[in-house]
Amino acid sequence: MVGIFIIGILMLVGAVSVVVVRQPVHSALALIGVTIGLAMIYLILQAEFLAVAQVIVYAGAIMVLFLFVVTLLTAGKEEMEAEDTLSGQRWAGIITGLVVGLGLAVVIATHSPVKLSTALSGSFGGLHDLGHQLWGPYFAMLAGVALMLLTGVIGVLVLNRPDQVNYKSRLDLPSGVSLVDAEQEGKK
Amino acid sequence: MISVQYVVALAALLFMVGAVGVLVRKNPLIMFMSAEMMWNAAALAFIAFARNYHDMSGQVMAFLIIGTAAAEVGIGLALIVAVYHRRHRLDIDEISRLKG
Repeated sequence: MVGIFIIGILMLVGAVSVVVVRQPVHSALALIGVTIGLAMIYLILQAEFLAVAQVIVYAGAIMVLFLFVVTLLTAGKEEMEAEDTLSGQRWAGIITGLVVGLGLAVVIATHSPVKLSTALSGSFGGLHDLGHQLWGPYFAMLAGVALMLLTGVIGVLVLNRPDQVNYKSRLDLPSGVSLVDAEQEGKK
Repeated sequence: MISVQYVVALAALLFMVGAVGVLVRKNPLIMFMSAEMMWNAAALAFIAFARNYHDMSGQVMAFLIIGTAAAEVGIGLALIVAVYHRRHRLDIDEISRLKG
């Protein structure tokens, strides 16, 4: 129980620093911390496979992709955030988010859900149970996610297809004076 | 026994921080990371309730959330890179000028 509080505080610190830091690289690193903390809480909640999947997919794949894009787009740049086009948009966003989120958290923390008295089965959260559910009653959703990933791959290829560069124009370089000509000019 | 409501409250706070990040920041990369945090908060709530009600369906939903988030990251980062190649600025308001 104490462990959850400690991990939760660390995660919230990481989450706030994702939002407030200036450099996107620091924000990506803080998000990796949040992800690792989430994996630890998954372990405490007996979701072993999901904890492993969280680390592999988020820390291993998604955040590496983020870091690639961040280094590709913002390397060596120190850009201030642009001015707001709508005045007061920032404060309106902060207040709306705080009211909604804190209200939600208070309501949840004061209403405890029904507690089951039966013991948890030993295989709960393992790969076996999850696989039975995924390939049984939830197979349509699994197929949907698979289709979505395929669509994502095709979408990325379509969005970032290379421009039609005119390679001919690169060959029209002015013909430089050769070294031999230059030497003869010098002797004269 | 873990009191699940604290974990769900943590998920709500995480969701709140992510939502504030999306509303306040103007760098599309940081907005996108905040959105990822909101996905993660939803998955955490699903897993907490799965633990409470001894039902694997919540974990199945969390697994599907992880898969969906992976697809979303691919498309979203491709969009950000495409917009950056045209406009050479990382500012979300650049996209609003697409309307002409």
